[in-house]
Amino acid sequence: MTQLLNEIPWGESLLAPDIDPAWEAELKRRGGNGSEVDRRVAPSPWIREACLGINTGTACAISAHLFNIAALVTAQENACRYCYGASRSYLLMLGYSESYIRRIEQEVHLAELDEKERAVVAFCRNLARSRPRPARAELDGLVDLGYTREAAREIALWIALGCFYNRITILIATPPELGFEGWVSAKRLKFLLLGPLMRFQAARRRRGKRDPVLTEAALGAGIYGPVLAPLAGLPGARIMKSALDGAFASTVLSRATKALMFAIVARSLDCRTSEVEARRLLAAEGFGDAEVEQSLASLASARVPAAEARLLPWVRDTVHFQTDKIQGRTREIAAALGNAAALEAIGVAALANATVRLAMLVE
Amino acid sequence: MNAAGAAWLLAGALLLAGALAWSWLRRARQAERLHAETRHKLEQLQREFERFAPPDLVERLTGGRGDVAPQRRQVTMLFADLRGFTALCDRLDPALTVTILNDYFRHMSEAIARHHGHITELVGDGLLALFGALETNPWQGRDAVLAALDMRAALARYNAQLQAKSLPQLQFGIGIHSGEVIAGVMGAGELNKFTVTGDPINVASRIEGLTRDLGVDLLVSEDVKKALDAGFRLRAMPPARVKGKPAPIQTYHVEHHEARP
Repeated sequence: MTQLLNEIPWGESLLAPDIDPAWEAELKRRGGNGSEVDRRVAPSPWIREACLGINTGTACAISAHLFNIAALVTAQENACRYCYGASRSYLLMLGYSESYIRRIEQEVHLAELDEKERAVVAFCRNLARSRPRPARAELDGLVDLGYTREAAREIALWIALGCFYNRITILIATPPELGFEGWVSAKRLKFLLLGPLMRFQAARRRRGKRDPVLTEAALGAGIYGPVLAPLAGLPGARIMKSALDGAFASTVLSRATKALMFAIVARSLDCRTSEVEARRLLAAEGFGDAEVEQSLASLASARVPAAEARLLPWVRDTVHFQTDKIQGRTREIAAALGNAAALEAIGVAALANATVRLAMLVE
Repeated sequence: MNAAGAAWLLAGALLLAGALAWSWLRRARQAERLHAETRHKLEQLQREFERFAPPDLVERLTGGRGDVAPQRRQVTMLFADLRGFTALCDRLDPALTVTILNDYFRHMSEAIARHHGHITELVGDGLLALFGALETNPWQGRDAVLAALDMRAALARYNAQLQAKSLPQLQFGIGIHSGEVIAGVMGAGELNKFTVTGDPINVASRIEGLTRDLGVDLLVSEDVKKALDAGFRLRAMPPARVKGKPAPIQTYHVEHHEARP
């Protein structure tokens, strides 16, 4: 059963906050909020950029209402105490009532949502869970209900980005924003009255903000291009592309390890498109077909540096997990690899899960 | 109607509206409370249910999703049986016997769950665990053998505890085989469970039986061997005849696993 906020077990944080005044100033300038996550991912340039992009990013084809509901449901489905608590408090701040939120969390068919919105909630749960793996037909189902193709893709993209962010916070065991949650809870009545005004202001700010978008050619050119190309015109696609380019350009972990991590997640979710892309990356590292097959079968490879070998069986467990158990296993990874490599591995695992979930929908 | 009459009428209407609103609010709160209680009971029931079936399966059944329909699947089956436990039962106090058995099952279950498997059957002192039955698992053969090696280590630790209490130690035999079976919820009347059926399950059981004849604790079939990499140290055993198979079957004893081949 999908867990509620107070049912999610949550361990001690894996990483301490890294206070970098220059980055904190940059965060402020770009509309970030200096959250517990921002401070913990600060040492990795591509992860911190991706997290900031997700926190400040906007959707263009779906309503803010749907965007916020999708964030809540995805975080709940991924059992991310941090994101779930923050999303919930944000909804309360926008004037959504406690009973309204509770119905979305517990019994969506009782919530005051129309058929199209309920379908999105179900889609969020299915894609985040991927058990059984969703396919393109589920995305087409949203179009059949009346969403534009662009809106359906944007919903899927933001669920995938949510899966990325949720995994970052889960694997780090980022301490929940209890201060924010408590503040919103204390002023609940005020927000209930002022919420509609805040929603209006948020929508106005959103309308005034135009995030840059990339063309199909630009998205299709790089790593995992065939997965990204259909997202042309959506502002969130840029976050995904920057993260993929940044992750594979980073030198903290070997490229062979990262490509194998992607291939393992692809095989776990039985996603042929993702595996083909990962194989392309592995071929560039000198892997032959038989070697890839052998590495995938054994979850090991002589080309992976000894210190990184334990990341291959571990990444498989980041696909479906029990929060407390995966946090425990990630703690072992950090103890063996050190914090910098562990943060990088967390980022790669989170990104592989997000990318493969998107790829399943283009097959 | 004069002004006083209209005021009374208005006051009456307001009072009635207030009473109706209050009554509606009360009913809504009652419904909300009832809903919360029902959900709480359902959660309790689900947690109890999870003691008897894997959580994933419970989730699928309670979620009303139709993906537990019977289907042919490639599954790896692990049979484990305690040796000489029946004789031990005759010597030990029944309560102590049950405690030892339950602790043994707990250790084995933990080892199996660590490697993506789940126990589907406990019969006497034997158990059947499945890998890849609930969802596609490309590493099911590897998982099953790693689980068996983990079970071996867990049994050694448990035996040390038993020895410290001057209790008899346990020995088991494990047989592992992979093949296509029908997986689904099976049973009759009030007794239903998620399990598998097909010839490979008989073969797995026969391989477990061979551990006694061949004097080893862990045997895998040729099909399982194919899924294993060079990190697994295997010793080929003499081909042996088993009931229901016209030709002798080849098995391998798993000695250990080295993390990096």
